[in-house]
Amino acid sequence: MKRKNHLQTALKYIILGLLAIIVLLPIYYLLVTTFKSSAEATMAPMALPKSFDFGGYAYAFEKMQYPRAFKNTLVITVCSVAGIVVCASMLGYALNRREERKLSKFTFLFILSGMLFPAQMSVLGLYKLIQGLHMMNQLSAVILINIAANMAYAAFMFKSFVSTIPIELEEAARIDGAGTLRTFWTITFPLMKPIVATIAILNALTLWNDFMTPLYFLQKRENDVLLQEIYRNVGQFSTDWTSLFQMLVLGALPLLLFYLFMQRFIIGGVMSGSVKG
Amino acid sequence: MKNDLRKKKELPYILMGIPGVSIFFVFFIMPLLFTVRYSFFNWTNFSPDISFNGLDNYKKLFHDSTILYGIKNALVYAVVTVFLQSLIALPVSAALNTKFRGRNLFRATFFCPAVLSTLVVGYLWKYLLSASELGFINQVMNRIGVGTVNFLGDKRYALASIIFTQVWQWFGWSMVIYLGNLQSISGDLYEAASIDGAGTLRKFWHITIPGLAPALKINLITGMISGLKVFDIVISMTGGGPAHKTDTILTLMYAKFADGNYGYAAAFGIMFLLVSLVVSRVLLGLFGAWERRLGQ
Repeated sequence: MKRKNHLQTALKYIILGLLAIIVLLPIYYLLVTTFKSSAEATMAPMALPKSFDFGGYAYAFEKMQYPRAFKNTLVITVCSVAGIVVCASMLGYALNRREERKLSKFTFLFILSGMLFPAQMSVLGLYKLIQGLHMMNQLSAVILINIAANMAYAAFMFKSFVSTIPIELEEAARIDGAGTLRTFWTITFPLMKPIVATIAILNALTLWNDFMTPLYFLQKRENDVLLQEIYRNVGQFSTDWTSLFQMLVLGALPLLLFYLFMQRFIIGGVMSGSVKG
Repeated sequence: MKNDLRKKKELPYILMGIPGVSIFFVFFIMPLLFTVRYSFFNWTNFSPDISFNGLDNYKKLFHDSTILYGIKNALVYAVVTVFLQSLIALPVSAALNTKFRGRNLFRATFFCPAVLSTLVVGYLWKYLLSASELGFINQVMNRIGVGTVNFLGDKRYALASIIFTQVWQWFGWSMVIYLGNLQSISGDLYEAASIDGAGTLRKFWHITIPGLAPALKINLITGMISGLKVFDIVISMTGGGPAHKTDTILTLMYAKFADGNYGYAAAFGIMFLLVSLVVSRVLLGLFGAWERRLGQ
């Protein structure tokens, strides 16, 4: 019996280990190749680089106009996430605490209907709207589109979370003379930390990696994001193989670092964000 | 007087809802209605006049053979990717749900590709799968004597190659969702089954799978819907080729948009809505039937 258990454990490690190699090998290849000459890369693709040459990175950094594109990506992600959290938490709260009202019921159904329609179908209508508002090529356009596209799910999650917060806590603050809005921000919002983290992490991941919305609405180079710079340099106009790998690493690095430090929270966020939904 | 007081009490809640509802209305509902409207219009980049042209865009769409490729490829992609992801993620999450050393490291490793941008993953694999002497996979295949395969240029392999990379990237995401669900299945059930003499496989089939109904539902439905939306990976790996063999509804829509055929592209958007509505209806129906059977 005991021997059988040992065998099972060993088998488990072998299978999981093989899978881990399949997952990590391409990422390892990507990282080591950035330091190699093309001859070295073809001759010994899996070996560690003989020397660490950062010249490729300097070149890619400049070609991608990295600081500008990074800043745009960061502004879009941070503002969109902040907007989603602020608007959806207030909306979810109001919908929950006024659940009996007809207006709330109607608003909730209206917002829920948003989950039926995939945002991608409306790109052409958005294009017309953004043109009409003279917001083409502005980061604010992408930010507002992102907030709207993710509002339904976030408001839904916030609404169901608020029902776990006892209303007595708020009533105590009320007696001390605080208004509804103040009570929300000082008492309720701090208690919503877990769901705020979940919503923020899920949206930060998808919005940082979103390529389609910027592609449609940020067509001027000075306003584009990191992924569009990669697309511009290795996809659309020319394929610059010499700096391809460095560009890919520079594009993926910010989130990889974020993942390295926040791994537990990110995985936790994905877990709780989906099973409840 | 009393009425005024009540109104005053409601007002803060209404004010709190306004920012969210108004952004949602302007940037989600209105564009949706605009898309429906302009799919009936002759709206292009070439002429300043936008005129109503009835069903012309839709007639053109039904005579356009590429849309059939788009729908077929998106459906095949979504079904196969979702199936393979769960096929790998289910046993892996069951293995990771037991306590052993290195468990968290494995979990973090398997999830890792999901934080990379799909576009980045696409360009990386395009290079790895390249049929030129630079492509690593073909280098290996040549060394072991299989010979060169043009993964992305060959009609037979292009879509399969794309699916492979996306299973590689996203099975860890499904795994995490299954893991979250597994932790909520009570250990008592397994103990009781052991006492009754059930083996590992029987327990997996009769306790784990029904207990995983919520996560299965999430993974299959959201996976199918996001599978239909496939865009970045196709743009980076094949651009829709060879011969439309990897084009999807959204890559075709983007192509019409880039050509300046806006009204026609809007009709593709409506087509996309119809396909995703049908798919989610069918899936919800299937799950409803399954849950009713479990409930009996």
